[in-house]
Amino acid sequence: MDFALSAEQQELREAIVKFARAELSSGVIARDRDQSFPRDLWRQCAQMGLMGLPVPEEYGGSGLDPLTCAVALEALGYGCSDNGLSFSICAHLLACVVPVWKFGTEEQKGRLLPGLCDGTLIGGHAMTEPGSGSDAFALRTRAVADGDGFRLTGTKTFISNAPQGDVLIVFAVTDEEKGYFGGVTGFVLERGMQGFRSGPKMEKMGLRTAPLGDLILEDAVVPRGAVLGAVGGGAGVFSHAMDWERSLLFAIHIGGAERLMEQAVTYARTRMQFGQRIGKFQAVAHRIADMKVNLEAARLLVYRAAWKLGRVRNVSMDASMAKLFTSEMLVRTAMDTVQVFGGYGFATEYEVERALRDAVGSTLYSGTSEMQRSIIARWMGL
Amino acid sequence: MSSRDSIKGTVKDYILTEFLPGTSPSELGDQTPLIQGAILDSLATVQLVAFLEERFGIEVQAHEASVDHLNTLDDITALVQQKMG
Repeated sequence: MDFALSAEQQELREAIVKFARAELSSGVIARDRDQSFPRDLWRQCAQMGLMGLPVPEEYGGSGLDPLTCAVALEALGYGCSDNGLSFSICAHLLACVVPVWKFGTEEQKGRLLPGLCDGTLIGGHAMTEPGSGSDAFALRTRAVADGDGFRLTGTKTFISNAPQGDVLIVFAVTDEEKGYFGGVTGFVLERGMQGFRSGPKMEKMGLRTAPLGDLILEDAVVPRGAVLGAVGGGAGVFSHAMDWERSLLFAIHIGGAERLMEQAVTYARTRMQFGQRIGKFQAVAHRIADMKVNLEAARLLVYRAAWKLGRVRNVSMDASMAKLFTSEMLVRTAMDTVQVFGGYGFATEYEVERALRDAVGSTLYSGTSEMQRSIIARWMGL
Repeated sequence: MSSRDSIKGTVKDYILTEFLPGTSPSELGDQTPLIQGAILDSLATVQLVAFLEERFGIEVQAHEASVDHLNTLDDITALVQQKMG
């Protein structure tokens, strides 16, 4: 067992951190206030290779293995204080680009992946509906065979990147009798298709630079070539995308938590109260020591899930453990950093209050903490 | 015991142990609907697929993890037999 990063992984990490610090982290307070999505920075991230990390080079990607992808995304989360932008990139990469790469036909891959990897196209993934969140069985969106294609009707909600999305993977029921397994199909919808539009951008607590909104399908007519994988194979496409998302999206939160912890250490070493640095008070020092332990434990879980993703067919429990622990670690770290900063932590200028607001969503998206505990328990035979 | 009976017996034991603990083997028939009868929910179906892949050394494709191939012991046995050649 070797816990060291390779020289190539270290070089990649350093390059992304340097890029993210220099290019992505200024102006975030204003973008957060205005809920503004930085399309110009999106293109820069694409030029850095972030939009197609695991995709083979022949389709415009970087061809990296999942563990190296985790290292790259962790570096992005560490260097980039615009957590909404990092989240949007992950939603695009893990829930749209990866399924197209893994399940798409050669025609779909050749047509869509180059634009998704070079930043021309923004991708997303639409499963959640107003009445169907954790309970995916309650899907209401329908796809009815119509001529040579399908006609889709329904509403998707809480869809990351939908307001800006050019390519969206939409899940719909194609056979009610068969239900979720065999009766749900994934479709690749492209902006401009008839009957498909996104709703307005949602106001939200955190990750405010990441566009989030509804997707409305009103007799959207799609050709048969829009089916992703096979008709009836949507459940498998979705669970594969979730394995990638739960394993790798949370790598950005490892980087984000490390950045917060370092801010807390710096502040605790310089802020004087009662004639000494506040880091000398056990109450503060122990809080930061716990941050470090939880961060390193989360990093190991994420790295292991990512390592397995490249080697075994099913990583469901590992991905859930990584997702659960990392998201709850991030929220605790953000809350503790605010506490270490005291009143300054409450002020927008110091940027830790935004980190706390950004962190809260992590225990909800990609399946709530409660769902992750249920999945883990089920794999334990409970 | 034929290969078919052996596969079916292995899958039946797994389903009884994991998803129907305490149930008499006689209550799980070859045509008992597993997915449509709500014995296998989404998580259980994923677990069953992982078990089949590991135990029999096969790969179940995304579109095959469906009610068409996994709804009954007979369906599952046929899928495994077909995959094993």
